[in-house]
Amino acid sequence: MNDALDVALRLLVVFVVFLTFPLIIGQTEHKVMAHMQGRLGPMYAGGFHGWAQLVADGVKFAQKEDIVPAEADRRVFQLAPAVALLPYLLVLLAIPIGPGEGAVGEVVDAGIFFVLAVMGVGVLGSLMAGWASANKFSLLGGLRTAAQLLAYELPMLLAAASVAMAAGTVSLPGIVAAFEWWWLPWQIVGALVFFVAGLAELQRPPFDMPVADSEIIFGAYTEYTGLRFALFLLAEYAGIVVLCGLTTVLFLGGWHGPWGADGLGWVWTLLKTAVLAFAVIWLRVTYPRLREDQLQKLAWTLLVPLALAQIALTGIVKVAIN
Amino acid sequence: MAAQLPPARSRIPGSGLAKGLAVTLRTMTRKTVTEQYPEVQPDLPPRTRGVIGLFEENCTVCMLCARECPDWCIYIDSHKETLPAAAPGGRERSRNVLDRFAIDFSLCMYCGICIEVCPFDALFWSPEFEYAETDIRELTHERDKLRDWMWTVPAPPALDLAAEEPKELAAARKAAEKLAAQQEAERAEQAELAAQAEKPGQAEKPGQAEQAPGSGQPEPGEGQA
Amino acid sequence: MTLAAAGHGTLAAAAPQGFLSPTGVEIAFVLVGLVTLGAAVVTVTTRQLVHAALWLVVALGGLAVEYLLLTAEFIAWVQVLIYVGSVVVLLLFGLMLTRAPIGRSPDADSGNRPVALAVALAAAGALVWVVADAFRTQWIDLDKPQGTTDVTGSILFRHWVLPFEALSVLLLAALVGAIVLSRRNAARSDRDGAPGGRTGAGDSDKEQR
Repeated sequence: MNDALDVALRLLVVFVVFLTFPLIIGQTEHKVMAHMQGRLGPMYAGGFHGWAQLVADGVKFAQKEDIVPAEADRRVFQLAPAVALLPYLLVLLAIPIGPGEGAVGEVVDAGIFFVLAVMGVGVLGSLMAGWASANKFSLLGGLRTAAQLLAYELPMLLAAASVAMAAGTVSLPGIVAAFEWWWLPWQIVGALVFFVAGLAELQRPPFDMPVADSEIIFGAYTEYTGLRFALFLLAEYAGIVVLCGLTTVLFLGGWHGPWGADGLGWVWTLLKTAVLAFAVIWLRVTYPRLREDQLQKLAWTLLVPLALAQIALTGIVKVAIN
Repeated sequence: MAAQLPPARSRIPGSGLAKGLAVTLRTMTRKTVTEQYPEVQPDLPPRTRGVIGLFEENCTVCMLCARECPDWCIYIDSHKETLPAAAPGGRERSRNVLDRFAIDFSLCMYCGICIEVCPFDALFWSPEFEYAETDIRELTHERDKLRDWMWTVPAPPALDLAAEEPKELAAARKAAEKLAAQQEAERAEQAELAAQAEKPGQAEKPGQAEQAPGSGQPEPGEGQA
Repeated sequence: MTLAAAGHGTLAAAAPQGFLSPTGVEIAFVLVGLVTLGAAVVTVTTRQLVHAALWLVVALGGLAVEYLLLTAEFIAWVQVLIYVGSVVVLLLFGLMLTRAPIGRSPDADSGNRPVALAVALAAAGALVWVVADAFRTQWIDLDKPQGTTDVTGSILFRHWVLPFEALSVLLLAALVGAIVLSRRNAARSDRDGAPGGRTGAGDSDKEQR
């Protein structure tokens, strides 16, 4: 009975995090992007500096009519948002925010493989949406999504493999537990490759070719309205949470910090995640969208060789210190 | 392409990317330019073309504004009144009295020609802009409302330091100086007359020499103003 | 297979048990197996090409769940990562480039059905026979995890290094072969002056409408 309660509590906490953190990041994006462009952003919803803007957006989305195009593949079309969203919920379960068993939703033995595998599944949702919409823009968006995923999955995996080699384990809490401060310069290339490839996999600007609004409207999500559209958006922001959390855990030492790491390790994790999320928003505001060929070129000619070089470096150092 | 770039350009890879990030970060720390209009009234410049105010006391119903208006959006009605003679036996005067002055702001294109052509300074730009209506027909605003908007017309902006003096001021100053010079001359003449009365025949030449610079003094003063 | 062989070779197997008192894990295993089998059958029989790919996701995912139920966590996640995450995405990418319509493809059927069925049955029979013959009545003790990354890694790189390396050489050969093939195709299409293999996405979309 106690075990069941414990599991239920953990699931509940993860679910609450899953529902609130993406909204917090979305709201931060509204405000940070506005201020970076010399604007104020939302100011009305909720009274104080528009803090409830995304809640209001959610209410609006819920009120809208749920339209399925007549020519669309109905069931696939309706299933796609769930396929896009749920993997991120599963990944959140496995990300540790503090030391010990109490600070992770579920200890997964092969944690890195679990999170990367499940994150890759999320892209299937975009592909299903792109194909089932019976719309040429959606189809193009789906194609671009697939091409992007194929290009960036490899460097992401290689970078993660490098840090797993360094730690000698593939479990996420194990990796953080093995972290030392000098890993930061040692794995910095891998960290950058991982973060950039993750951004590309989430289709965040400057890697948002699949949803390039000036070319293909909104890519695979063009035909979506109402709640299903909101779910796709939620998936994007949940993806930011997951990516930043993962980068923190893998490369930035999770709950390790210069001080106060004993009881307040989770604060460090959240702080690093928040800083990374800010960087995600910052990059979105700053850089224009890459062209499709630039996108592929970046992955194959820069990120993959860098990740391989990082693995070689990790191997050499690992052998040397042993 | 790359060879054409100036050699002074930084060659550190990624410096352009870093510069872009710096720009957005710097903008974030600065004050935003957003006007929070309904809560905070905008700080409009004095020459804002918000609405046209009518200073009807100045209007002589000359109809120039209505005739120059490219949109024909000014409506003027008037009648003629006869004033009794000012002095007994004089001629009666007649003048136009304004009955209606309306501007249809659904037609007005805010060109400001009416304000430019008004020879009696009866029309002015006002920064007031909150006169939207729910019905397009109610956008024809009548004389009383146009008169009310006169109160919102700001004082004319101060002239530039080196600007030419306004014609009104120049004319008034010229008149005042002329008067002052005349009085000065009279005073000098009287003093001369008094001196002549005291010493007749002796001081004729020095008296003339004194008068010449005295009358010439206001001239450079005019030029300086 | 690797795991099964590994289990046979090094791991202590539990005592044989009866079939009449199945545990919860065993029931789940059978149910997931049925779902996987059903999804696989639908994959090869449906006439909607993209649906076939999506049913393949279900089948491969079901297989991953089976691995999980056998406590082979590492294999399960790699299965999801490679097959669901990459192979199916590649498959869908390819399908989107074709003229696959939404709804049934009229020409998705081939006359080889009986032959294909025979081959499939033969392959399934051979595999089942091999596995059944190899393990017979051995039971895996599911209480202690036996397929963790640790165990899998040490078995793979201590007992099975040679096959592993041979496999990697095979994959390398396939990679080199693919590059050679694609380069020769590119050269030929350049010579012909016609861009080969460029069926635009717009074409397939026109077909869909």
